[in-house]
Amino acid sequence: MTGRSPAARLDLRQHVCPVTWVKARIAMGRLPEGAILEVLLREGEPRENVPRSAAEDGHRVLLLEPAPEEGAGTWRAWLERGSAVEDGTWP
Amino acid sequence: MALNDAEVGRYARQLILPAWGEEVQERLRGARVRVAGGGLATGPAIYYLAAGGVGTIWVDDPDPVAPGDGAGWAFGPDDAGRPRGVASAAFAAAANGLVKADVFRPGSRPTAVLVCGANMDVSRAIAEEARLLQLPHVVADVDGQGGAATSVPVGAPCYACATRPGLGAAPTPEGAAAVGALAALELLLLLGEIAQEPRARRLEIFRGTPLTRATARQAGCACNAGPPGPSGY
Repeated sequence: MTGRSPAARLDLRQHVCPVTWVKARIAMGRLPEGAILEVLLREGEPRENVPRSAAEDGHRVLLLEPAPEEGAGTWRAWLERGSAVEDGTWP
Repeated sequence: MALNDAEVGRYARQLILPAWGEEVQERLRGARVRVAGGGLATGPAIYYLAAGGVGTIWVDDPDPVAPGDGAGWAFGPDDAGRPRGVASAAFAAAANGLVKADVFRPGSRPTAVLVCGANMDVSRAIAEEARLLQLPHVVADVDGQGGAATSVPVGAPCYACATRPGLGAAPTPEGAAAVGALAALELLLLLGEIAQEPRARRLEIFRGTPLTRATARQAGCACNAGPPGPSGY
């Protein structure tokens, strides 16, 4: 991650599924392609689902690591905004 | 204006749907929908418009609630005698406190119409009015345990062109629930600008068999004449 830094930061530790990913998705949609969103997650379901949903939505997970300095059980993820955030199909 | 925390929480389960997103939800919030016709599909349709986040819902139905009206959707026993528009607006507001719901009044300026006519003649008249006003509209026709939802974007073949005879069965509550929900979803897709082609289409559920077909103009229909005058009530 040398030379790169997040364009925005989002603390999702107070939220539960599906709001965790919804908030991250909306925040990603407000960033330009290639920008990085840093999210703080609780371990367990948010730490599993948010990075996975981001990857499924066309973003890149650049970093996923414990962040004990932010509080016990906190994880940090860096999500790089892809181009497909609003793509998809509807019948 | 971006969605606030209450809106994100309320609409979280649809904001994660493919293609839905924040911009779509903002378009729905800015929409003003007139629900007209007084048919059995009105209650389910209003519920799903409200749940979907249409910002303003105006119910155009001045008749009083009769005992047994609404099949348990919009009206309770205490609503008997109240104007159905008033009771329906209260039902919409209760379904989602983030939407504004009221009776339709002269001078109101909807951006779309959901037609739930008590019969096809009523629906045809309201749909033609919407077409002349250049408002996108969806028509819910309940027919037995099924029916049809006809989407008419601005400039599309009109409802009269798209309509064809169904079973002619008496509307049932389950048919109203299915068709009302389907019509509301069709209008949400139009308003959110995420409906796939063909956007001018008719979804039919007869005898449990769903069918989607693009609508087409009938020779000699007035809707062949191109756009009418400026939009507006």
